[in-house]
Amino acid sequence: MANRDKWSTFVLLSPWIVTFIAFSLYPVAYSLYLSFTKYNPLAGQAPRFIGLSNYLGILNDPAFWQAVKNTVIFVVGTIPVTTGIAIILAVFLNQRIRFRSFFRASYFVPVMTSVVVISTIFTYIYSPFGLLNSFLNLFGLPGRNWLLSTEFALPAIMVMMIWASFGYYTVLFLAGLQNIPQEIYESAEIDGANSVQQFFRITLPLLRPMLIFALVINTIRSFQIFSQIFVMTQGGPLGSTRTVVYYLYTMGFQKFKMGYASGIAYLLFLIILVFSVIQMKTLSYEEQFYGR
Amino acid sequence: MLRAARRSALYLTLSFIAVLAIFPFVLMVLTSLKQGGAVLTRLSELIPKNPTFRNFIEVWVADSFGIYFRNTAIITAAVIVGNIVLDSMVAYALSRKSFLGKKAMFLVIIARMMIPIQVLIIPIYVLMHWLQLYDTLAALILPTLVQGFGIFLLKQYFDGIPRSLDEAAIMDGANDFQILWRIIMPLARPAIAVLIINTALTSWNAFLLPLILTSSQGTRTLSLGLALYSSRFGVDFINQMAASSISALPILAIFLVFQRQIISGLTKGAVKQ
Repeated sequence: MANRDKWSTFVLLSPWIVTFIAFSLYPVAYSLYLSFTKYNPLAGQAPRFIGLSNYLGILNDPAFWQAVKNTVIFVVGTIPVTTGIAIILAVFLNQRIRFRSFFRASYFVPVMTSVVVISTIFTYIYSPFGLLNSFLNLFGLPGRNWLLSTEFALPAIMVMMIWASFGYYTVLFLAGLQNIPQEIYESAEIDGANSVQQFFRITLPLLRPMLIFALVINTIRSFQIFSQIFVMTQGGPLGSTRTVVYYLYTMGFQKFKMGYASGIAYLLFLIILVFSVIQMKTLSYEEQFYGR
Repeated sequence: MLRAARRSALYLTLSFIAVLAIFPFVLMVLTSLKQGGAVLTRLSELIPKNPTFRNFIEVWVADSFGIYFRNTAIITAAVIVGNIVLDSMVAYALSRKSFLGKKAMFLVIIARMMIPIQVLIIPIYVLMHWLQLYDTLAALILPTLVQGFGIFLLKQYFDGIPRSLDEAAIMDGANDFQILWRIIMPLARPAIAVLIINTALTSWNAFLLPLILTSSQGTRTLSLGLALYSSRFGVDFINQMAASSISALPILAIFLVFQRQIISGLTKGAVKQ
């Protein structure tokens, strides 16, 4: 009986064991190993151990640093805006209003759609004869070729991603707000707190766990920005929209420098980890501030 | 008076943003119905003069989006079924069985969700070549057949189902699989719905794995097909919008119908922490 139970447990766990080994454990270990090798699968040679050369090469690679800079600009430029818009909209929607579920659903439509579709539509909107330029022309403003400009291509993609993701965080924060008991606001009102005070003293502190979650998730996602770049600019013009993952892709799957690309992947992992830890640390530091 | 002004400002803001959120999709559909050649867009030319479905037929047949659609549907269906059947087995073991290393396994599943997929893709690419599955649909299905998210979600839900139910079934001589399939799964419908929504969406919209694991048209998915189409035929916006519609409209139609369930499903994991 006990044996049969063990056997049954093993069978139940087997799907996870097999897929975990094949698609998580082996890849994590093997790409770490590859990052210390020179490996071009097309050349038909086995990976050759070269120590830290890939990492040293990457850290001295101006194209990599440009990619890091672009990615950090993207992360730092989009996340506060997305989060700010989402909090404000969530507070608006949390009032006693009509058509709440209509608003909520319409904000969520971009979230449902694949980034590739969104990127295709925005390539059209941003094109020289696209909608954005004809809209600007209405006000006598000059249009430009947004995605072919070293100055404007990255900001244009950033605006698109704020548009594409604010709905998710709005709905997330709204769900968080609805968990805050109404009585807290009522007693604050009796004590004479105005709505701004209520927002900073009640709403924001009570929303904090969800805020941390949203920031961390959004940071992880934003550091991995890739398909937008693939569809809209291929990293151009002049590398002005090249992101870390796009660079990893070109190195690994266009130039087939897979050892080098594995090194980039691990550095990316490290960057994401550091940013997430910093966010969680600083935000829970504020916790002591609010005396929670 | 002031109150009324504030309320109308509120509704105006909310409606304006709703229009902003939906408008690009309206643009997509309207453009996809235009006659070929009418590439220039002015605000006044937004609505197609002689709407036609010809672009859809062209994209579906000549540009192979019919094949991409079929591939995407097969992959999505297989991944959904796989995750329901396999995640539930693992979740059941985690919820009902005691075994060595259970806590560690749970931690590993959570930790795994933190690892960016970019770290995994090169070894998966090598593995698929070695298994001779490169450029097959199986290569796109297998890596996502069992997912930590689904295991975690179902395990949490199974934990809330009273054990007295399984004990009664054990008395009647039921084995683990019968308990899982006859008793637990029917009670776990809400969690399964969330699982289906999540896997369907990520699977339908997946891009990176198809990009690196396929090379021929016959195995392309909608997202990949569209991405290659858009980056290669830079200016044929009308057909691009038709192709985009083929990719986006099935999901948006399902969203229209199950809007409430989908929104609560996609935010549930976050709210419950």
